[in-house]
Amino acid sequence: MARVLLVDDEDEVRAALKRRLDREGYEVNTAASAEEARRALHGSAAYDIVVTDMSMEDSDSGLRVLEQALTCDIFTEVIVLTAYGNVANAVESMRRGAFDYLEKNVPGVDAYEILTIKMAQAMERRRTAVNTVRRLEQQVRTLSHAGQPPNG
Amino acid sequence: MDGLAVHTRTPDEGFLRDLDSLFTDAAAGQGDAAMLQRVLDASMRAVAGTRGFLALVDRETGDMEVGPISGPDWTDEKRLLRLSLAHEAKRGITGNVAVTGEPHLTGDAPSDPLYIPYFADVRSEIAVPIMGTSGHSWGVINIESERADAFNAGDLARLRVLAHAAATALRVQGFRNRESALVEIGNDLTTTFNTEDLMHRVVSVAADVLRFEDCSVFLIDEITQRLVLRASQGALAAEVGQADYEVGEGLTGWVAQTGEALRVCEPYRDARWRGRHTEFPDHEIAALLAVPIVSRGGILGVIRVLRRKGRRAWVSNDFSEAEQRVLSTIASQVGAAVENARSHQRLMQSERMAAWGELSARSAHMIGNRTFALKGDLNEGAYLVEQMTPGPLREEIAGLFRSMTRGVARLEEILREFRDFVMATQLTRGQVDVRELLLETLDESWPKRSAVTLTTDIAEGLPAIDCDAPKLKRAISELLENAVSFQPTGGRVTVAARRVPRDETQEHRLPPGRDYVQIEVADSGPGVPAEAKERIFQPFYTSRAKGMGLGLSIVKGIVESHEGLIREAGTSGAGARFQLFLPATDR
Repeated sequence: MARVLLVDDEDEVRAALKRRLDREGYEVNTAASAEEARRALHGSAAYDIVVTDMSMEDSDSGLRVLEQALTCDIFTEVIVLTAYGNVANAVESMRRGAFDYLEKNVPGVDAYEILTIKMAQAMERRRTAVNTVRRLEQQVRTLSHAGQPPNG
Repeated sequence: MDGLAVHTRTPDEGFLRDLDSLFTDAAAGQGDAAMLQRVLDASMRAVAGTRGFLALVDRETGDMEVGPISGPDWTDEKRLLRLSLAHEAKRGITGNVAVTGEPHLTGDAPSDPLYIPYFADVRSEIAVPIMGTSGHSWGVINIESERADAFNAGDLARLRVLAHAAATALRVQGFRNRESALVEIGNDLTTTFNTEDLMHRVVSVAADVLRFEDCSVFLIDEITQRLVLRASQGALAAEVGQADYEVGEGLTGWVAQTGEALRVCEPYRDARWRGRHTEFPDHEIAALLAVPIVSRGGILGVIRVLRRKGRRAWVSNDFSEAEQRVLSTIASQVGAAVENARSHQRLMQSERMAAWGELSARSAHMIGNRTFALKGDLNEGAYLVEQMTPGPLREEIAGLFRSMTRGVARLEEILREFRDFVMATQLTRGQVDVRELLLETLDESWPKRSAVTLTTDIAEGLPAIDCDAPKLKRAISELLENAVSFQPTGGRVTVAARRVPRDETQEHRLPPGRDYVQIEVADSGPGVPAEAKERIFQPFYTSRAKGMGLGLSIVKGIVESHEGLIREAGTSGAGARFQLFLPATDR
């Protein structure tokens, strides 16, 4: 089961998101701040996906969560939730390696539906990336065996 | 020689003592009614009169009023008698003395052609003028006697000295009044930040204490740059905030333009005279005095006083240099105070605006988050409803959830408009290629399926502009959305862009000295009625059911915070034509 860390400082938002993600079959842990997220990331096995709000203690808390997540595991996929109009920070999070960002309040758009689609895509990318690295490792191992003299 | 220096006791000793105390107190600034009463009492003693009074000229009406009285038989009716100086036949001895400034002495009053009998027993009368600074009398001391030939030249001389004492008292009192008025205004000016209150204090002090009968303050409006009446003591009081002049228009406007004081008689004869806002009819105005209100930043306005001609043609109507000095002093105090009040106001305003912006952004953020959570709960609720056994109950609940979901979407629309409005002026700028920006905007916002035909006419090689690209896109997509929504059954929208070289700025009524990029969104819809052309850009103006009516005011806010200009240049009935002018980056 895919492991997800959900970071948002609003109780209602965390509850609503967790409920949906539970239903989608994810194993969801939550954190209510960038600091809580840091402890959660360092205190357990790697998360497959981190979904974090951008603006919590300050307007770029999400960027710190992103940085922590990628420090713990380069293959963790991060999706950033932003308020409308905070495009600059969202773009910055993409530059720093986030999988994608999502505006919470686009009129008439079901952000939860979009989120689950993006999470599925993120899982796919993570699997591909991990597989690619495994194959590379395998290849390196094979190559290094092949490179050894037969009688070595 | 010694013999002359020896003073003998004379009957004048009491008179001299009176004079001594009167002049001492007059110089000390006592000029009130009690002081004038003392002058009259001393006059009675000095000439051994039976009855006497001191009358003062009312500068406004030109009449004389009885002040202090002395002696028997006075009735209220006689006390309250006013002497009209306008009619030669009715002004009597007292009035005549006031008008001519010459003393009068008669030993046989009933035979005197000027005499008007008020008291039955009068045989002799002596009257001397109290002379003011400008050669016009302020009042008259009048003493009567029941004896014939009661007064002589010596009495006349004594009364003249006493009249000087009264004049001195009045003059010193006048100075003191002016001084305390100036101090009073000065105190008000340093303690109040409310410009309106201040102006009212100034005109009321100027009118009451300084005897400028009709005093008006005009200030140059910071936005319209017109001279607007801010306070008035006269009939103009009802027009405060409305009566205005162009700077340079009329005498008041001339003072505001040149920064020079103006002191003229019969101002309506002046070629510059407009007389649009005066306290009384043109031909009644005898004199005008207007001084500029100046501060460090330049001319702020004008204080103007008018003097009425009326019936007192014999009284000087000119404003004196002293009066001009007083008014200039007030004006410079007012200037400092207005400047002070305005900078205080600007500070308050900018603090409030900053707080308001912060509050709006925070509220929008919090509402956005709650709405997002609500949306999630609704989704889950709707999902659970789907798991229920099919039936009318499930349908009813599902209907409720659909309605709530629509409500939330509507909330988000409002929120989006609100945020766009608040953030319209907070720009994050960069160099932007207009052509690229327009093509991107059309790609992102032009409806995929629409009955409306899109035509573009975007020039190549447009100059770059320094702008906030997402905001400008938002502005243009709002205009596109408008254009489409007004043509539900199909039509045409043209998006054009071109450079406006700096020598064409005047033609487009743009601030000169730079090139502009003109962006135009035109449609073939109903257009904008002429009377609504300005109003459509105001917040909450809407002719559509959707949204809060902030759309075009958001567009205007975005364009103007780019130092640009937006106008609607179409013809009603022939389609709307929105023109945006944005300053090009200098190269």
